[in-house]
Amino acid sequence: GLRRCLISMNLHRVEESFRGIKTAIQAKDTFQNVTILSPSETLHGIKPLDVCCVTKNLLAFYVDRVFKDHQELNPQIMRKISSLANSFLYMQKTLQQCQNLCHCRQEATNATRIIHDNYDQLEVRSAAVKSLGELDVFLAWIDKHHRGTSAAS
Amino acid sequence: VPCVSGDLPKPTNVAFISINMKNILQWNPPEGLQGMEVSYTVQYFIYGQKKWLNKSECRNISRTYCDLSAETSDYEHQYYAKVKAMWGTNCSKWAETGRFYPFLETQIGPPEVALTTDEKSISIVLTAPKKWKKNPEESSISMQQIYSNLKYNVSIYNTKSNRTWSQCVTNHTLVFSWLEPGTLYCVLVESFVPGPPRLTHPSERQCVSTLEDQTTALEVK
Repeated sequence: GLRRCLISMNLHRVEESFRGIKTAIQAKDTFQNVTILSPSETLHGIKPLDVCCVTKNLLAFYVDRVFKDHQELNPQIMRKISSLANSFLYMQKTLQQCQNLCHCRQEATNATRIIHDNYDQLEVRSAAVKSLGELDVFLAWIDKHHRGTSAAS
Repeated sequence: VPCVSGDLPKPTNVAFISINMKNILQWNPPEGLQGMEVSYTVQYFIYGQKKWLNKSECRNISRTYCDLSAETSDYEHQYYAKVKAMWGTNCSKWAETGRFYPFLETQIGPPEVALTTDEKSISIVLTAPKKWKKNPEESSISMQQIYSNLKYNVSIYNTKSNRTWSQCVTNHTLVFSWLEPGTLYCVLVESFVPGPPRLTHPSERQCVSTLEDQTTALEVK
């Protein structure tokens, strides 16, 4: 069942990579009055059945948009972001083994759409920085919803 | 009376100190103004909302902390806070915190610890710490309800042999067996949540003696 579809990787290293850039990246985000992930409208309402699809969609959002759109001059921050990107590619590969179980219902698609719309509201560099600064929200959500189960890996 | 902003240095080390979701904003007086009658004003901001909000109880205060627990009680949101110093008609620019995320940053207080003993064992019952609440009448929320992966590090120290054992548990009852009769043992317990490092707060050290060995007691009679 869904158990096989969950991410078993040790998130602590991913969270550690993020903590290494959190202060610097969040400091660059000067638009405090908008968010990209808008957790109370998107992530907090996700039901267990939609966790796999939302995870897959948000991993793709970060890999295909955020990590590509972000331009970083600081080599140390760049290294941490690359490490994060590689971890996300690994998580994508893990979920790919569950294609038949990762159904996308309307609720999951709507949540993902809100996030992409929020991203499109901002200039692309600002949107990328803000999305990176909100990675702790996404990682905490993954940790909470993908915990304590064996998984496809 | 509006003050002239920027004439005073800013407060320093502005940060949230959070334990069990009791979120206190703390800061240090501006450099060079220690001992002077400086007052402070605090504002806070809910990330994603529209504007900075006042905290009326923290306007023109002389202390260097402000309890923002009620304003930041939705622990899945993220917040900023800022403080400025005022002295006479002069005031500093705002000194602002980084983005504060209570769910990932609050420290977890110790559990309540109840001990019972018999000859060769000590039974320990743990009660998870409680989330901060505004009114005592409100029903309590256990930190376990917020962090389902909450764990405890239990240490037991034999005062006779000076040996210590530690055990990491998730359940709330455990028994240390094969102990020495008639010996004083001391117990310390820390709560923790796997994930981002958080400062820990050990429980008060509690010491109990295992009962005397009943068999030798009978022989003596």
